[in-house]
Amino acid sequence: MQMVSERTSNRGSMATTQTDAAEKAAELLAKIAENRNRAAFSELFRLFAPKLQSYATRQFGNEQTAMDLVQETMTNVWHKAHLFKPDRGSPSTWIFTIARNIRFDLLRKNKKRKDDISADELWPILSEQNDSLDDGYALDHDVLMQEISFYYAQLPDAQRVVIEKIYIEGKSQQEVSDALGVPLGTIKSRTRLALKKLKELIVDDD
Amino acid sequence: MMIKSHPGEGLLYQYASGDLSAAMTLVVGTHIDMCKACRQTVCEIEQKLCEENLDTLVSVASTTMSKSQCDQMLEAIFASSACNKQAHQPNEILSLEGRRFTLPRTLAHNSHRIGEWSKLVGKLWRAPLTLDNGNQTNLIYMAPGAKLPEHTHKGKEATLVIDGVFNDEQSEYRDGDFILLDPSRTHTPETQDEDCLTLATLDAPLHFTSGISRLLNPFSQLFFR
Repeated sequence: MQMVSERTSNRGSMATTQTDAAEKAAELLAKIAENRNRAAFSELFRLFAPKLQSYATRQFGNEQTAMDLVQETMTNVWHKAHLFKPDRGSPSTWIFTIARNIRFDLLRKNKKRKDDISADELWPILSEQNDSLDDGYALDHDVLMQEISFYYAQLPDAQRVVIEKIYIEGKSQQEVSDALGVPLGTIKSRTRLALKKLKELIVDDD
Repeated sequence: MMIKSHPGEGLLYQYASGDLSAAMTLVVGTHIDMCKACRQTVCEIEQKLCEENLDTLVSVASTTMSKSQCDQMLEAIFASSACNKQAHQPNEILSLEGRRFTLPRTLAHNSHRIGEWSKLVGKLWRAPLTLDNGNQTNLIYMAPGAKLPEHTHKGKEATLVIDGVFNDEQSEYRDGDFILLDPSRTHTPETQDEDCLTLATLDAPLHFTSGISRLLNPFSQLFFR
């Protein structure tokens, strides 16, 4: 398997590459959630298994345990893809939190008694119950549009269009998805990335 | 209502990377359920941890998965059945002494671990939580007008106010306030006209050292014998 990580001295193009990768992964997750698409999962697996393996090897220093972490993490991704929320974070962060939970359980397995608490009880990220929290990247309402417009001109085109349609034209994410012919998950991740970028721009300027 | 006492950033980092004990994870996680600011911070930390640990592929050449290993694992995953271990139904209502409390999400998910309530000295009740070996985690309920004798702590202790208000000589603590104890401090926690439900654990990690001095101190380990 090709293991060359993409590096470039140009930060801008690196950010774009990461954004593209995130959108790709989000689309694959959506396909898996929709119809248990094995081809999509295989592709996602090839993207993430080596990264998970590298993370786990550094964590455990044991190849077999590392492989267990890869397998258990990706098994959860296969069965729980529908629980990924593109507006909450990137696909890789979601997968990382699953791996973090598996690691927590694997580290405790030796000492574990029957009734011990598991990571899923502590971080209910894979809970089917819809006990959503009102988090997310919401901008403060008192930030004036005029101030924002100066900053959002600096966003990449794809993100700026989405922000304009949602925050200026008042369209829903679904409407923007329909209008642009882009999957809803992509719109959600673009919105999140754009708001994050805006926040960085605004904070840097202070 | 503003939460004024939060876990330090170092603690949030350890929470997000999964390096805290189960008990401390539960207390910090319950604070995060109640605190939008810390929730936001943890989101950002998780993203950063992901960038450091997952997105940046450090090549560990000798352990790269072979094609056949990949195919084998994929087969195993497709053959696996969705893990349907019956999770305990979250119960977010806690009734005690004629009061009804609503438990935050993480605590509600662990409501089946809350043991029997027992009455302690004064106007105090406690119920232990079964988390893992050797931890000492308790829900503690102080009725209005409860007061503890002045005391010190041998170890570090985290306390989270779930509902109500209590105070010591230093300050007043309300819903969502997270207090990490300094072992050297003496104090006298008490309630006034209102009651107070808190979650407290003595099971603190040994290695956090910085940025904690600003945090204050509520309960004695005389509860945890």
